[in-house]
Amino acid sequence: MLERIALHQTRLHTPGLGLDAKGVALGAKGLVLLPSIDRLVGLLSVYTRERSLEDLMPSLGMNVVKSKLGTREITLEFAAESSDRMDRIAETARLVGGFTFTGTARHFVQYRDAAAPFGYDATTLLATDAALALYHDRFSQTYDVERRVELRPLLLRLMPHLDPASRLVPGPRVVVAEQGLGPALVHYLVRSRVDGEVGVAEWAPESAFEDAPVRRWVFRIPELPRRMQPLMHSTPGIRCFVPVAPGAAVEAGHRHPVELRACPVFDPAGLVLVRGGGEEPWILDRMPPMGPLTAFARVEMRTTGAEASTASATRPADSVRVPLRVVPSTAPWKNVTATWVEPAQVPLLRRLAYALPHGTIAAARVAMTARGAFLRSSGGIEAIPLGTFFVEVHPNLYVPAGHEVTPSVAPEVLARALGAAPGQVLFVGTDARAIAVEESAFAPLEAALVEASPWEPAVAEAIEQALDDAPLDLKVTGIGMLPLRGVDPAPKQGD
Amino acid sequence: MADLGAIAERLYAGVMAPMVLGGAIEPGHAIGARAALALGEGDRTTTDPDREFQVQLGRVRRARRLAAVDRFPPASRSEWALGAILHDLLQAANPTFDTVLRRSAAERILLVARDALDRVPDAATVREALSRHTWFGRVLDIARTDTSVSWWVGSRTYLGVEAPHRLQAWPELRRVSVVKAEHALLELEPLAVDRAGLTEALARFLAKTPLTALATCTRDAPPFVWSPATLALVATRPGRTLALRALAKLPAADVDAALGRATRDLLGARRSMAAPAVTLLGERALAQAAGHVDRGHGGAGPSPAHAHAAFARGLGAVAGMLMLESGEAGWPHGERARLIAALDVAARSPPAREAVALLGEGS
Repeated sequence: MLERIALHQTRLHTPGLGLDAKGVALGAKGLVLLPSIDRLVGLLSVYTRERSLEDLMPSLGMNVVKSKLGTREITLEFAAESSDRMDRIAETARLVGGFTFTGTARHFVQYRDAAAPFGYDATTLLATDAALALYHDRFSQTYDVERRVELRPLLLRLMPHLDPASRLVPGPRVVVAEQGLGPALVHYLVRSRVDGEVGVAEWAPESAFEDAPVRRWVFRIPELPRRMQPLMHSTPGIRCFVPVAPGAAVEAGHRHPVELRACPVFDPAGLVLVRGGGEEPWILDRMPPMGPLTAFARVEMRTTGAEASTASATRPADSVRVPLRVVPSTAPWKNVTATWVEPAQVPLLRRLAYALPHGTIAAARVAMTARGAFLRSSGGIEAIPLGTFFVEVHPNLYVPAGHEVTPSVAPEVLARALGAAPGQVLFVGTDARAIAVEESAFAPLEAALVEASPWEPAVAEAIEQALDDAPLDLKVTGIGMLPLRGVDPAPKQGD
Repeated sequence: MADLGAIAERLYAGVMAPMVLGGAIEPGHAIGARAALALGEGDRTTTDPDREFQVQLGRVRRARRLAAVDRFPPASRSEWALGAILHDLLQAANPTFDTVLRRSAAERILLVARDALDRVPDAATVREALSRHTWFGRVLDIARTDTSVSWWVGSRTYLGVEAPHRLQAWPELRRVSVVKAEHALLELEPLAVDRAGLTEALARFLAKTPLTALATCTRDAPPFVWSPATLALVATRPGRTLALRALAKLPAADVDAALGRATRDLLGARRSMAAPAVTLLGERALAQAAGHVDRGHGGAGPSPAHAHAAFARGLGAVAGMLMLESGEAGWPHGERARLIAALDVAARSPPAREAVALLGEGS
């Protein structure tokens, strides 16, 4: 009943079947026929490992269908949209033993495979009132829909697999403690300086014989210390969950068969806690109000002594002026813009000048004093590796690099205390004594460095030879096949 | 139109830069008038700043032989056009065109280049004339080296290309003889275009760079003539100074002969325009009398060149005497008397009288 679609074939028999831009037969929908629910779970598991169901969700429908012979199978319908999407799902379905079809309303034909790259067309349609008529090269069958299968209940009914490795996954944890354990766990976490939030959630009674709701403490811990993990995993009454998707977490030590992160069926404002061991999941439609753990720390009240002690009188403080000290500091060096080269090192500076790059020399200014040479360079003085480096802590106020002033006062206060006159540059040495250098004494280093050397006139003959014009040697080059190509006359005046 | 950037790059590297720096000139595919006139649109730059820097340095070096100039702007639109036209003139002289089916192509290239020259404006200022001279001052120095290789069983001539090394191998055993001969642009053989046409095109080209035309006035071909552009140049004080400095570097007798012939023609044809030329000759005569310019030797015998030189000297002496007598040159009295005495003989010579007669016809 099926025939392969040929290249450039345009006419198809199956209603609702068309050809996309690549020439592949494609209906509005895709359909995967699966023999059992575990194959459906397998399909979802494989598919969600690599991509999300988010784009399929609006059109996704899963049904239990029944054939005329009474066999029940599972169908998964979705919008076909493109052959790329169909190809991906068909490959996954083939992996789990499903058949892929495409169609629009009732009649679905087998989707393309290696034997028919452009797909199939049904030459003879089944006359039926059934909801689905599937045409495969092995069978043609009609089905009626028995019931619908929702994705979220399906996911929640699936038992997670044992996976001890998930306990070691770093990251946030959701810890649920029974009501009696909650306060003790709070104090334990506060004492251990573990950050987190805590709230109390209520569930309906587990049996009709109980009239009070079940309360549990819910902890959200961004980073559970490794040493506490065994405690959380093995203490009865405490369940530890690993968040796997917004609004969903799976108990540590287990893994859900389907990648829940790829299934946008959980409300991020709520919380679904999938428990292992075949227990039903805990569902919170809305997260309870959460507070920081420290807010629940144990408080103790002072029971003896007066309530407060009040000062009886105040008076001005005694003078606390102390001598200035310059002490080594571990703070990183920054803004090192000056150096003090002592007189003994000035000859070394002269020799170093030959090795300095032009940029360094051009940017540096120097003041020669009886105490040595002071060099400043706003771009940094490290390029002149000589002398004692100074950091400019305030305009025109320098302290030795790697040192700081104690008492630790603001640079403005220090400048004011030293009382330097405007136009003076102050260098505070390691002995806390300051040296003042007139700003006008600083001159460009390049002007101070160069010493005119005697020169001799160049030999005129050499210049004459250098100025001789090289002969103009006309070379003959090829003229090409079309020597007049592009040789256009001048445009007319006014063009 | 083809990619102007690529054309400019090729033109600059192949012709314009070597014209300044010397070396091999390698004209390529003909450019045409339309592209030549459009090359200088916008700020045309080349992709080799080092070479451009060297060229600019070479131009300043050339200019400073005549004037104290420190820098020149890059090639102007007119200079790009003149460069492209020169390129096409050189390509028209390519011996490869000298076949039955290709000769017309060379003629066409030459015709288009000549038409393009008419669309290039004359130098409007002395600086522009000097700038053009820095580019094209050596246009008449262009020469092609032809190599003749002969060996024991044959010989072959290579025009403008190097002879292959294999032909020069084992020179003693094969009795190889290599003779290299340089041929100036207007002496090239074979030539696919009419030689007179090429000469006339080169004359028009020189008219567009008047300082070059004056600085090479002693050339054999194309002969120097006073064009409106050269007259306009020497009509100005700075232009005349540059011209005198350029002429002072040439043999004085040859300069006198060239200027005398051109001025005699000018007086005969367009006497009203001859005043700048006469002034130039007058100042040149004064410079010679003052000893600033070598007097040169006119040669012996009544040759035409000698007659033209005598005419130039006579006309210059008359013009110099008039300048001295008018006092416009501001000479000290004693010096002026000495100069008048020095010029008096030449001013009374028959050529001078002939010049006065020619001048008088117009007054």
